[in-house]
Amino acid sequence: MSETNMEEKVDQTTNSRTISLPISRVRLIMKSSPDVSCINQDALFLTTKATELFVQHLALSSYENGSSKDTNSLSYSDLADTVEETETFQFLTDILPKKILARDYLKTLEEMEKEDDNL
Amino acid sequence: MDGDSSTTDTTPLGITGEYMAGGTYVLAQEDDGDESFNDHDDGNGSKDFFREQDIYLPIANVARIMKNAVPQTGKIAKDAKECVQECVSEFISFITSEASERCHQEKRKTINGEDILFAMSTLGFDMYVEPLKLYLQKFREAMKGEKGITPVAVGEGLGEDLTDETFTGQLPAGLITADGQQQNVMVYTTSYQQIPGVQQIQFS
Repeated sequence: MSETNMEEKVDQTTNSRTISLPISRVRLIMKSSPDVSCINQDALFLTTKATELFVQHLALSSYENGSSKDTNSLSYSDLADTVEETETFQFLTDILPKKILARDYLKTLEEMEKEDDNL
Repeated sequence: MDGDSSTTDTTPLGITGEYMAGGTYVLAQEDDGDESFNDHDDGNGSKDFFREQDIYLPIANVARIMKNAVPQTGKIAKDAKECVQECVSEFISFITSEASERCHQEKRKTINGEDILFAMSTLGFDMYVEPLKLYLQKFREAMKGEKGITPVAVGEGLGEDLTDETFTGQLPAGLITADGQQQNVMVYTTSYQQIPGVQQIQFS
């Protein structure tokens, strides 16, 4: 029952004519890519809408995939797990690393420095 | 302020504390020698004006979309929202660079809608393509409705400001004038300019 409601909601947002993201900001991000000169109006709208779909997709996948179903909340680790497991989201692995404790990280850093010294 | 980098946990990224100071990094002019953090696992080592990971969409908008996607009572952790914010910028850049590449290959300068759709299906987001095409269609129809000039509007506006656009629109075969008489023949030439005071051309 609730799944159908979810799908309906996603459909509604998909098919609505309104966009809930600032187009100028999307253009800014697009222009920050190297070698991008001009962006057609259609392309801009499509990208903005696609971004909406992407957010929905990522949020929903992470929610269903992760342990959040029990806790009924979405956490960072749900996202990190989903990104690792889903092929479509693999491009995000660099910016979504699994979190480690600071002390473990510092240890790793020390070891790296030792290696550098040895070189 | 909304989710700036200062609130994001950047420890896993191997970036020093200096990077976390301040919200915006416009016009980052850095020496090669000091670019230590650029050498870490950073896929894009570009030193362009805008570091693309610094430009994000507003977190409120992102959070709202997430909330609508997740079942009613679901909560979303703050770091999850910030994280998706960064993912979104990454996604946009990802699609754009793919579309841009195709443009270059075809010796075109402007990225159009087709390029974006093609990029998406290439990169594994082909499930978005059909809904997006529908959306674009609806959007175009909406735009047409707002911009288009109907025949009635042309007639009414004749005495007022006429622009060049008016002449390119569809003209009615007849025109109802102010006194209710219908003029059957109406000819507009390209050289016709709006003459003040003259509302219609009469043919005897």
